[in-house]
Amino acid sequence: MSQPELEVAALGVAGGAVPAARRIGVYVCHCGGNISDYVDVAKVVESVQGDGDVAVARTAMFACSDASQQDMIDDIQKNQLDGLVVASCSPKLHTYTFRAVATRAGLNPYEYSQVNIREQCSWIHRDDHEGATAKAIGLVQAGIARTRLTEPLEPIVVETTPKTLVIGGGIAGLRAAVGLADIGLQVVVVERELTLGGWVGRFGELYPYGKDGHALIAGLVAEIKKRPAITVLTGADVVGKSGSFGNYDVEVRVGGPGAGSISVRVGSIIVATGFDSYQPEAGEFGYGINGVMTLPEFTDLLDRSTGPLVHDGKPVRSVVYVYCVGSRQASDVEGANEYCSRFCCTAAVHASVRAAGLDAMARQFHLYRDMRTYGKYETIYTRSRELGSVYLRFPDDTPPAVARGEDGRLVVTVRDLLTDGEELAIPADLVVLVTGMVPRKNEELVGVLKLPLGSDGFFNEIHPKLRPVETVVGGVLIAGACQGPKSSAESVASGLAAVTQSAAILRKGFAELDPLVATVDTDACTACGKCLDACPYGAIAMTSLDGREVAVISETGCKGCGGCVPMCPEDAIDLRGYTDAQIRDQIDSLLEVSVA
Amino acid sequence: MTAQVDVELYGELQKFGAADVSACFSCGTCTASCPLVTEDATFPRRMIRYAQVGLRDKLLSSKELWTCYACGECSETCPTQAEPSEFMAAARRYAIGSYDRTGLARTMYTRPVLGTAIAVFLAAFFAIFMAAGHGGQATGSLDLFGFVPEDLVHTTGIVVMVIVALAGLAGIVTMARQIGRAEGVGWRTVVGSRAAVGRSLGALWEAIGVESLGQRRYREDCDADKAAGDADQAAVPIYRRRWLLHAVTMWGFLGLLGATILDYGLALAGIKATGTPVPIWYPVRLLGTLAGLMLVYGTSVLILDRFRRANRSVAHSTPADWTLLALLWITGGTGFALEVALYLPGAPAWGYWVFLFHVAVAMELVLLAPFMKLAHVLYRPVALFFYALARTPELPDRQGGTR
Repeated sequence: MSQPELEVAALGVAGGAVPAARRIGVYVCHCGGNISDYVDVAKVVESVQGDGDVAVARTAMFACSDASQQDMIDDIQKNQLDGLVVASCSPKLHTYTFRAVATRAGLNPYEYSQVNIREQCSWIHRDDHEGATAKAIGLVQAGIARTRLTEPLEPIVVETTPKTLVIGGGIAGLRAAVGLADIGLQVVVVERELTLGGWVGRFGELYPYGKDGHALIAGLVAEIKKRPAITVLTGADVVGKSGSFGNYDVEVRVGGPGAGSISVRVGSIIVATGFDSYQPEAGEFGYGINGVMTLPEFTDLLDRSTGPLVHDGKPVRSVVYVYCVGSRQASDVEGANEYCSRFCCTAAVHASVRAAGLDAMARQFHLYRDMRTYGKYETIYTRSRELGSVYLRFPDDTPPAVARGEDGRLVVTVRDLLTDGEELAIPADLVVLVTGMVPRKNEELVGVLKLPLGSDGFFNEIHPKLRPVETVVGGVLIAGACQGPKSSAESVASGLAAVTQSAAILRKGFAELDPLVATVDTDACTACGKCLDACPYGAIAMTSLDGREVAVISETGCKGCGGCVPMCPEDAIDLRGYTDAQIRDQIDSLLEVSVA
Repeated sequence: MTAQVDVELYGELQKFGAADVSACFSCGTCTASCPLVTEDATFPRRMIRYAQVGLRDKLLSSKELWTCYACGECSETCPTQAEPSEFMAAARRYAIGSYDRTGLARTMYTRPVLGTAIAVFLAAFFAIFMAAGHGGQATGSLDLFGFVPEDLVHTTGIVVMVIVALAGLAGIVTMARQIGRAEGVGWRTVVGSRAAVGRSLGALWEAIGVESLGQRRYREDCDADKAAGDADQAAVPIYRRRWLLHAVTMWGFLGLLGATILDYGLALAGIKATGTPVPIWYPVRLLGTLAGLMLVYGTSVLILDRFRRANRSVAHSTPADWTLLALLWITGGTGFALEVALYLPGAPAWGYWVFLFHVAVAMELVLLAPFMKLAHVLYRPVALFFYALARTPELPDRQGGTR
C-alpha cells in the first residue's frame, strides 16, 4: 500500500486562551475505499487540524478494525483526550463499538460522537467527489461541535422483576418458556388460542428429520408441566401494558372479548406471536378451483393420507407445485410481499418427498423461480429429485397459469427455461400453491406494546446481526416468525436467544440503561402538559414539587426520542447527549463550512 | 405452440428399460462431452429433459435420438450417475415401440418373457410349417429342396418380406412425419424443386452411403476404443473395435441378403437353378461364404464383449440386445454348418435338419426386424437423412424461391 494507513498530525496544545478547552481525538475512516474513493479523507483531517479543541486527528483504513481501535485507545491515554469523534459509517453500525473503545481507554463513553460520512457522503455523492468531501468536512465539524459540549454520563440503574411474559404458545414461545424456567426465571405464557402449539402443532412430519409436529409440541407441553415456574394462560390476549423497563405491568384478558383481565408484573416480554400463512386471492394461480390448494392444506392432506393420495375420490397421479406464491412479489404492486419466505421451498420439497413415499408412481412437477433449500436442506432437494420430482424453472416475468381444461382436468401452463424456454401444458390432479409467511394481523398487540413494524409488516429488531431479538422498546424481545419468515428450527433458536437476552436483563436483579433521556428543568416548567401528549411511550407524568405542578420524565420509560423537546413552549426540556446547545452548535458549524 | 406434457411418459420409458434419469439436474455435461454434438444438434441433456418433463412428441420427433452410437462418454462424465447413454438406448427402444403401429414391438420390449415366447413360437411355427410339406431325404447328396420344396421356401420368404416391408414402411412414414413436422421439413422441402431433389439426394447419400454403410462418424467421432491421447489406456486393436465389429456384422448381413437375392435372381434368369451343387469359388457362393464369415465373426465377438462387459458401451445388456445377437449368430452359424454338410461326402442326414432350422430362424429374423432392435436399420437412416438435410444449406431453386 503506497498510502500510509495512518497519517499523524502532531498538533500543538491550545494555549488555554479558550475557556473550557477540550482535547478531542478525530478519526476519519477510509472504510477500505468505501469512503476514501469518493471523499478526500486526508483533506477532511487537514480541515480540522487548526481547531484548538482537536488534539489528535488521523485517518484510519478501517476505524473499526482491532488495530485501529487499539491506536485510538493509545491516543486517548497518551494525549489525555476527553472527547472522541469517529467519522465513518452509520451510527446504527458502530456507535456501540466506539463507545466501548472510549470505555476501554478510560474515557466516559458518552464523550464519543459518531459522524456518518459513508451513507451520507461517499455512497450517495459518487458523482461529486469535491462536494462529498465538503459535506464530510461539515459533518465532522458538526461532530466536533457536539463533542465540545458533551459531559460524562452514567448509566441509569433499574431494579428488575425476575419474571418474563411470553406472548404466543407456538414452538418458539414454548421452548423459550422452558429455557426461561431453567435459568431460574418465572414465566407467564399467554396464548390466544385455546390450545398450545401454533402452526407446528397442527402438522405431522416436519423437515428436516421428519419429526412429528404434534409430538414436538406434546413434548414441550410435558416439559412445561414439569416446571412450576411456568404459568400458561390460553384463550388469553394482552390488552394493556404500563410501567417501564424492567418492571412492566401487563393486562391479560382471559376468555375472549368482554371477559375480565388480570395484571401481571414482569421484567421482560418475549413476543413470539408467529405468522399467518399467505392466503391467495380467489383466482390467484387458480385458487378457488377444486384441486388447487395452499401448502398448509396440502400438508394436511399428506398428514391424513396413509397410501397414495386421493383428492375428491380420485387418485392423484400428477401434482404440480407453484412456488413463491405470496412471496417475492413485484415491487410495483401496492402492498406487495417483496421478501422471500425461505422456509417454503424446503417445506414443499419435503412434502414432495413425503408424497413420493406414499405413491412412487405419482408424477410431481415443481415450478419454481429460484430453489432456496439452503444449508443442509439441499439434501432434501436432491432426495426429491432422486424420487422423481421434476423441477421446472419459470422466468420471473412469466408466471405459470392454472386453469381447468376442457376435459375437466387441471392444466398448468408454464414456460420452462430448462426445456429451451418452451411453453408446456401440464395436466394435474392437484396444484399446490407454495404459499409463504405473512405477518399476523395483530393491531391490538402492536398498539399495546408500541412495537415498530418493518416495511414488510413483521416486527423489527434493533440490529439484524448484533441485536437480533431486541426491539427499540427496552425489555421487549421478539422471537420466531413474528420477526420475519423462519423455519421451526430457526424460530426455536431465536426463542432461546430471547431467553438469553431476558436473562441478561433480569438475572442480575438490576439493569443499566442508556442515560440519553430527556430531562425537565423544573424551574422553567409551567405544567402546561403539552409534553404529555407528545410522548409516545407514556413516560411523562405530572408531579407536585415544592407545592406546584411540574412535568417529570421517567428515566426508565423514556426512549430518548426527543419528541417532547420541541413541544415545550418554555424550552424546559433537554435531551441528554443531544441538548439544544449541542444541536445549535452543530448546525452553526455546518453552516460555517457550507458558507465558506 | 404449447407442448403437451404426458405424465405417463416417464413410467412408459421405464418399461422400456430406461435408466432412472431423475437424478439428472440438467447440467449439460453430457451434451458438452458428446463427440457428436454440434450447435444444431444438442443431446442427450435435451432428450433426458423431454423424458423427465413428459414431452412425448418432442422425444419421438428428435432425430438426435438416432445419431448416437452409444459410446458411453456421457455416462462416464455424468456427475449424477444418471446414465445418459443407457437412457438414449432405452429412448430408441421406446421410439421403435412407438413408430410401430402393430404393438408387437412394444410387447417384445416391455414383456421380455412373452417376447421370447413369441420368438421361439415363430421359429417353431416356420419349422413345422415347412417340415409339414417335406419330401424325402436323398442320401447320395444333400437335396435340400427335395426335402423342403423350393417354392414353399421362396413363397414364404416373399410373404414375410412383404409383411416386413409394409410394417417397416408404416414405421418409417410415422417417424419421418413426426421428425419432418418438428424440423419444418415437408414434401416441398424434399422434392419441391430440382434444387430440393438434389439436396435430398445428397442427404440420402450422406445418410445411407457415408453414415450407414460407411460408418463415418461411428468410426471417426464415436470410437471410444481408440485411446485418444490417453497414455494409461492402450488402444483396442482394430479388429476388436466396436465400430468395426458393427460394420462387419452389418456388411455380413447385407452380403448374405445379397447372395440370397442373387441366387434367386440366377434361378429366375435360368442361369442356375436354386440348389444346384456349385464349387466353393462360384461367385454367389463365395459372396455368401465371405459374408457369413463376417457375420459370424462380428456377432461372436459382440456376444463375447457383451458377456464380458468388455467396455462401457456394453455395461448394461437388455433382452433385446441378446435376442438380436442370438438370432444373427444362429442364422450365420447354421448357414456355415449347412455349407459344411453340403461339401461333406455322403450327405449327412443332420444337414436336412440344420437346413430346416436355418430357414426357420432366418425367416423369423427378417419377419421380426421392424419389431426388435434390428429396426434401427429402418429408422437410423431416416434420422440421419434429416440430420444431413439440416446440415446442407438450402439452395435457391431455379424459380428463385427457397421453398
